[in-house]
Amino acid sequence: MAFSAIKSGELVTLNDLHPSSPLFKNGASLRVTGKLQEYTVETAIAIIADGNKILKIDTQHLRDLSFRIGSVYQFIGELVVQPDNEAILQARVGRNVDGIDLNLYHQSLQVLRQFQADHLKNSTI
Amino acid sequence: MDPKFQYTHVKLLAFDLLSLLQTPSFSSDPICFSRLGKSLSRAEILGLVTSREHKPNKFLKFTIDDGTGCVSCILWLNQLASPYFSRRSPPDVRLIADVATHFASDIKIGVVARVRGRITSYRGVVQITVSDVVIERDPNAETFHRLNCIKLARNYYGVAAPLNAAVETCY
Repeated sequence: MAFSAIKSGELVTLNDLHPSSPLFKNGASLRVTGKLQEYTVETAIAIIADGNKILKIDTQHLRDLSFRIGSVYQFIGELVVQPDNEAILQARVGRNVDGIDLNLYHQSLQVLRQFQADHLKNSTI
Repeated sequence: MDPKFQYTHVKLLAFDLLSLLQTPSFSSDPICFSRLGKSLSRAEILGLVTSREHKPNKFLKFTIDDGTGCVSCILWLNQLASPYFSRRSPPDVRLIADVATHFASDIKIGVVARVRGRITSYRGVVQITVSDVVIERDPNAETFHRLNCIKLARNYYGVAAPLNAAVETCY
Protein backbone atom coordinates (compact mmCIF):
# COMPACT_ATOMS: atom_id res chain seq x y z
CA MET A 1 0.00 0.00 0.00
CA ALA A 2 1.40 3.38 -0.96
CA PHE A 3 1.49 5.52 2.14
CA SER A 4 1.42 8.79 0.26
CA ALA A 5 -1.93 7.82 -1.30
CA ILE A 6 -3.76 7.64 2.01
CA LYS A 7 -5.94 10.66 2.44
CA SER A 8 -7.16 12.02 5.74
CA GLY A 9 -10.86 11.55 6.42
CA GLU A 10 -12.22 15.06 6.93
CA LEU A 11 -14.35 15.29 10.06
CA VAL A 12 -17.94 15.95 9.04
CA THR A 13 -21.40 15.67 10.51
CA LEU A 14 -24.18 14.03 8.50
CA ASN A 15 -25.78 17.47 8.40
CA ASP A 16 -22.79 18.71 6.34
CA LEU A 17 -23.49 16.17 3.61
CA HIS A 18 -26.08 17.83 1.40
CA PRO A 19 -25.87 17.96 -2.41
CA SER A 20 -24.82 21.63 -2.48
CA SER A 21 -21.93 21.07 -0.05
CA PRO A 22 -18.35 21.03 -1.44
CA LEU A 23 -17.83 17.86 0.61
CA PHE A 24 -20.60 16.08 -1.29
CA LYS A 25 -18.53 14.76 -4.17
CA ASN A 26 -17.26 11.47 -5.51
CA GLY A 27 -14.05 10.32 -3.86
CA ALA A 28 -14.18 12.75 -0.92
CA SER A 29 -12.40 11.20 2.06
CA LEU A 30 -14.57 11.69 5.10
CA ARG A 31 -14.97 10.61 8.70
CA VAL A 32 -18.60 10.31 9.75
CA THR A 33 -20.24 9.48 13.07
CA GLY A 34 -23.75 8.24 13.77
CA LYS A 35 -26.01 5.78 15.50
CA LEU A 36 -26.51 2.47 13.71
CA GLN A 37 -30.08 2.30 12.47
CA GLU A 38 -29.94 -0.71 10.15
CA TYR A 39 -27.43 -3.32 9.14
CA THR A 40 -27.85 -5.97 6.43
CA VAL A 41 -25.46 -8.90 6.72
CA GLU A 42 -25.96 -10.05 3.09
CA THR A 43 -24.96 -6.70 1.58
CA ALA A 44 -22.79 -5.41 4.47
CA ILE A 45 -24.65 -2.10 4.14
CA ALA A 46 -25.15 -0.14 7.33
CA ILE A 47 -27.29 2.94 7.80
CA ILE A 48 -26.22 5.45 10.43
CA ALA A 49 -28.23 8.40 11.69
CA ASP A 50 -27.44 11.69 13.38
CA GLY A 51 -30.56 13.69 14.23
CA ASN A 52 -32.84 13.43 11.20
CA LYS A 53 -29.99 12.81 8.73
CA ILE A 54 -28.95 9.35 7.61
CA LEU A 55 -26.09 7.92 5.54
CA LYS A 56 -25.47 4.53 3.96
CA ILE A 57 -22.13 2.89 4.72
CA ASP A 58 -20.65 0.05 2.70
CA THR A 59 -18.78 -2.00 5.32
CA GLN A 60 -17.66 -4.91 3.11
CA HIS A 61 -13.95 -4.09 3.60
CA LEU A 62 -14.12 -3.92 7.39
CA ARG A 63 -12.94 -6.78 9.56
CA ASP A 64 -13.28 -7.45 13.28
CA LEU A 65 -16.16 -5.02 13.74
CA SER A 66 -19.47 -6.26 15.13
CA PHE A 67 -22.61 -4.27 14.44
CA ARG A 68 -25.22 -3.58 17.08
CA ILE A 69 -28.33 -1.55 16.29
CA GLY A 70 -28.45 1.56 18.49
CA SER A 71 -24.69 1.73 19.02
CA VAL A 72 -22.69 4.70 17.78
CA TYR A 73 -20.05 4.10 15.08
CA GLN A 74 -17.44 6.15 13.32
CA PHE A 75 -16.26 5.38 9.79
CA ILE A 76 -13.52 6.71 7.53
CA GLY A 77 -13.89 6.17 3.83
CA GLU A 78 -14.57 7.60 0.41
CA LEU A 79 -17.92 8.98 -0.68
CA VAL A 80 -19.65 7.61 -3.76
CA VAL A 81 -22.42 9.82 -5.10
CA GLN A 82 -24.89 7.92 -7.24
CA PRO A 83 -26.73 9.47 -10.22
CA ASP A 84 -29.86 9.98 -8.11
CA ASN A 85 -27.73 12.05 -5.66
CA GLU A 86 -27.85 9.32 -3.06
CA ALA A 87 -24.48 8.99 -1.33
CA ILE A 88 -22.80 5.95 0.16
CA LEU A 89 -19.54 5.87 2.09
CA GLN A 90 -17.13 3.06 1.13
CA ALA A 91 -15.66 2.52 4.59
CA ARG A 92 -12.02 1.50 5.00
CA VAL A 93 -11.86 2.02 8.78
CA GLY A 94 -14.61 1.68 11.37
CA ARG A 95 -14.97 1.62 15.12
CA ASN A 96 -17.58 1.57 17.83
CA VAL A 97 -17.70 4.86 19.78
CA ASP A 98 -20.41 4.12 22.33
CA GLY A 99 -20.10 6.70 25.09
CA ILE A 100 -18.96 9.52 22.85
CA ASP A 101 -20.30 12.94 23.82
CA LEU A 102 -21.76 13.92 20.43
CA ASN A 103 -22.64 17.42 21.56
CA LEU A 104 -19.03 18.10 22.60
CA TYR A 105 -17.81 16.36 19.44
CA HIS A 106 -19.89 18.67 17.22
CA GLN A 107 -18.77 21.75 19.15
CA SER A 108 -15.12 20.68 18.84
CA LEU A 109 -15.54 20.49 15.05
CA GLN A 110 -16.74 24.10 14.96
CA VAL A 111 -13.78 25.20 17.10
CA LEU A 112 -11.44 23.19 14.85
CA ARG A 113 -12.76 24.79 11.66
CA GLN A 114 -12.25 28.25 13.11
CA PHE A 115 -8.73 27.32 14.24
CA GLN A 116 -7.84 25.95 10.80
CA ALA A 117 -9.22 29.08 9.11
CA ASP A 118 -7.16 31.29 11.44
CA HIS A 119 -4.08 29.15 10.81
CA LEU A 120 -4.53 29.46 7.06
CA LYS A 121 -5.04 33.23 7.34
CA ASN A 122 -1.88 33.65 9.48
CA SER A 123 0.22 31.51 7.16
CA THR A 124 -0.71 33.63 4.14
CA ILE A 125 0.12 36.97 5.79
CA MET B 1 15.04 30.32 17.89
CA ASP B 2 13.06 30.13 21.09
CA PRO B 3 14.18 26.79 22.65
CA LYS B 4 11.42 26.67 25.29
CA PHE B 5 9.73 23.63 23.74
CA GLN B 6 12.89 21.93 22.47
CA TYR B 7 12.56 18.95 24.83
CA THR B 8 8.78 18.92 25.23
CA HIS B 9 6.42 16.58 23.42
CA VAL B 10 4.25 19.32 21.93
CA LYS B 11 0.66 18.28 21.27
CA LEU B 12 -0.07 19.13 17.66
CA LEU B 13 -2.86 18.44 15.21
CA ALA B 14 -1.67 16.63 12.08
CA PHE B 15 -2.12 19.58 9.69
CA ASP B 16 -0.11 21.77 12.09
CA LEU B 17 2.68 19.19 12.46
CA LEU B 18 2.86 18.64 8.70
CA SER B 19 3.26 22.38 8.10
CA LEU B 20 6.25 22.87 10.43
CA LEU B 21 9.09 24.86 8.95
CA GLN B 22 12.04 22.58 8.07
CA THR B 23 15.50 24.14 8.06
CA PRO B 24 18.79 22.36 7.28
CA SER B 25 20.96 22.25 10.39
CA PHE B 26 24.64 21.66 11.14
CA SER B 27 23.92 20.17 14.57
CA SER B 28 23.48 16.41 15.28
CA ASP B 29 19.97 16.48 13.83
CA PRO B 30 20.12 17.09 10.08
CA ILE B 31 16.89 19.09 10.03
CA CYS B 32 15.58 21.64 12.47
CA PHE B 33 11.79 22.00 12.89
CA SER B 34 10.05 25.14 14.03
CA ARG B 35 6.63 26.67 14.42
CA LEU B 36 6.28 30.44 14.59
CA GLY B 37 9.91 30.80 15.62
CA LYS B 38 9.81 28.12 18.29
CA SER B 39 12.17 25.22 17.88
CA LEU B 40 10.48 21.82 18.23
CA SER B 41 11.99 18.35 18.31
CA ARG B 42 9.32 16.12 19.84
CA ALA B 43 5.58 15.81 19.33
CA GLU B 44 2.50 14.01 20.59
CA ILE B 45 -0.26 13.18 18.16
CA LEU B 46 -3.49 11.22 18.55
CA GLY B 47 -5.76 9.69 15.96
CA LEU B 48 -7.04 6.62 14.20
CA VAL B 49 -4.57 4.15 12.76
CA THR B 50 -5.49 3.90 9.07
CA SER B 51 -2.60 1.89 7.64
CA ARG B 52 0.25 -0.34 8.82
CA GLU B 53 3.23 -1.87 7.07
CA HIS B 54 5.18 -4.36 9.18
CA LYS B 55 8.69 -5.60 8.40
CA PRO B 56 9.46 -8.03 11.24
CA ASN B 57 12.67 -7.20 13.15
CA LYS B 58 13.05 -4.05 11.05
CA PHE B 59 10.22 -1.55 11.47
CA LEU B 60 6.51 -0.89 11.66
CA LYS B 61 5.34 2.02 9.58
CA PHE B 62 1.82 3.25 10.25
CA THR B 63 -0.42 6.23 9.61
CA ILE B 64 -2.29 8.30 12.18
CA ASP B 65 -5.33 10.20 10.87
CA ASP B 66 -6.78 12.81 13.25
CA GLY B 67 -9.20 14.27 10.72
CA THR B 68 -6.91 17.19 9.87
CA GLY B 69 -4.18 15.18 8.13
CA CYS B 70 -2.33 11.88 8.01
CA VAL B 71 0.99 11.56 9.82
CA SER B 72 3.38 8.79 8.94
CA CYS B 73 4.97 7.14 11.99
CA ILE B 74 8.00 4.86 12.05
CA LEU B 75 8.56 2.47 14.94
CA TRP B 76 11.98 0.83 14.74
CA LEU B 77 12.13 -2.88 15.59
CA ASN B 78 15.78 -3.51 14.68
CA GLN B 79 17.35 -2.90 18.10
CA LEU B 80 18.84 -6.42 18.39
CA ALA B 81 20.68 -6.16 15.07
CA SER B 82 21.46 -2.45 14.86
CA PRO B 83 25.08 -1.30 15.45
CA TYR B 84 23.57 1.84 17.02
CA PHE B 85 22.71 -0.25 20.12
CA SER B 86 25.87 -2.43 20.14
CA ARG B 87 27.57 -0.38 22.87
CA ARG B 88 24.63 -0.64 25.26
CA SER B 89 24.16 -3.50 27.69
CA PRO B 90 22.37 -6.50 26.11
CA PRO B 91 19.63 -6.67 28.80
CA ASP B 92 18.81 -2.98 28.19
CA VAL B 93 18.67 -3.50 24.43
CA ARG B 94 16.47 -6.57 24.91
CA LEU B 95 14.11 -4.51 27.08
CA ILE B 96 13.93 -1.70 24.49
CA ALA B 97 13.27 -4.28 21.74
CA ASP B 98 10.53 -5.97 23.79
CA VAL B 99 8.79 -2.66 24.45
CA ALA B 100 8.92 -1.77 20.74
CA THR B 101 7.52 -5.21 19.81
CA HIS B 102 4.72 -4.71 22.34
CA PHE B 103 3.87 -1.29 20.83
CA ALA B 104 3.87 -2.85 17.35
CA SER B 105 1.37 -5.52 18.41
CA ASP B 106 -0.95 -2.79 19.80
CA ILE B 107 -1.04 -0.85 16.53
CA LYS B 108 -3.97 -2.20 14.53
CA ILE B 109 -6.07 -0.53 11.87
CA GLY B 110 -9.05 1.19 13.50
CA VAL B 111 -7.59 1.74 16.98
CA VAL B 112 -7.03 5.21 18.37
CA ALA B 113 -3.39 5.67 19.30
CA ARG B 114 -1.59 8.41 21.19
CA VAL B 115 1.91 8.52 19.74
CA ARG B 116 4.92 10.35 21.09
CA GLY B 117 8.27 10.63 19.43
CA ARG B 118 10.90 12.66 17.65
CA ILE B 119 9.90 14.86 14.76
CA THR B 120 11.85 13.69 11.73
CA SER B 121 11.59 14.06 7.99
CA TYR B 122 11.46 11.45 5.24
CA ARG B 123 11.68 12.60 1.64
CA GLY B 124 10.81 16.11 2.76
CA VAL B 125 7.65 15.12 4.64
CA VAL B 126 7.39 15.42 8.41
CA GLN B 127 7.01 12.11 10.24
CA ILE B 128 7.25 10.81 13.80
CA THR B 129 9.98 8.42 14.90
CA VAL B 130 8.03 6.67 17.62
CA SER B 131 9.21 6.38 21.21
CA ASP B 132 5.90 5.72 22.97
CA VAL B 133 2.44 4.39 22.05
CA VAL B 134 -0.73 4.37 24.16
CA ILE B 135 -3.97 2.90 22.83
CA GLU B 136 -6.92 5.09 23.83
CA ARG B 137 -10.19 3.35 24.67
CA ASP B 138 -12.13 6.43 25.79
CA PRO B 139 -14.32 7.45 22.79
CA ASN B 140 -13.91 11.10 23.83
CA ALA B 141 -10.08 11.01 23.87
CA GLU B 142 -9.82 12.45 20.37
CA THR B 143 -12.21 15.31 21.17
CA PHE B 144 -10.23 16.23 24.30
CA HIS B 145 -6.94 16.00 22.40
CA ARG B 146 -8.31 18.19 19.59
CA LEU B 147 -9.46 20.90 22.02
CA ASN B 148 -6.21 20.62 23.99
CA CYS B 149 -4.10 21.09 20.84
CA ILE B 150 -6.09 24.17 19.83
CA LYS B 151 -5.84 25.70 23.32
CA LEU B 152 -2.09 25.08 23.53
CA ALA B 153 -1.48 26.39 20.00
CA ARG B 154 -3.43 29.57 20.69
CA ASN B 155 -2.12 30.29 24.19
CA TYR B 156 1.41 28.86 24.26
CA TYR B 157 2.80 27.63 20.96
CA GLY B 158 1.23 30.40 18.93
CA VAL B 159 3.12 33.36 20.34
CA ALA B 160 5.80 34.20 17.83
CA ALA B 161 9.42 34.53 18.97
CA PRO B 162 11.89 36.89 17.30
CA LEU B 163 13.10 35.39 14.01
CA ASN B 164 16.82 35.74 14.82
CA ALA B 165 16.31 33.74 18.04
CA ALA B 166 14.76 30.98 15.94
CA VAL B 167 17.71 30.80 13.59
CA GLU B 168 20.28 30.77 16.43
CA THR B 169 18.82 27.63 18.01
CA CYS B 170 18.98 25.74 14.70
CA TYR B 171 22.68 26.38 14.29
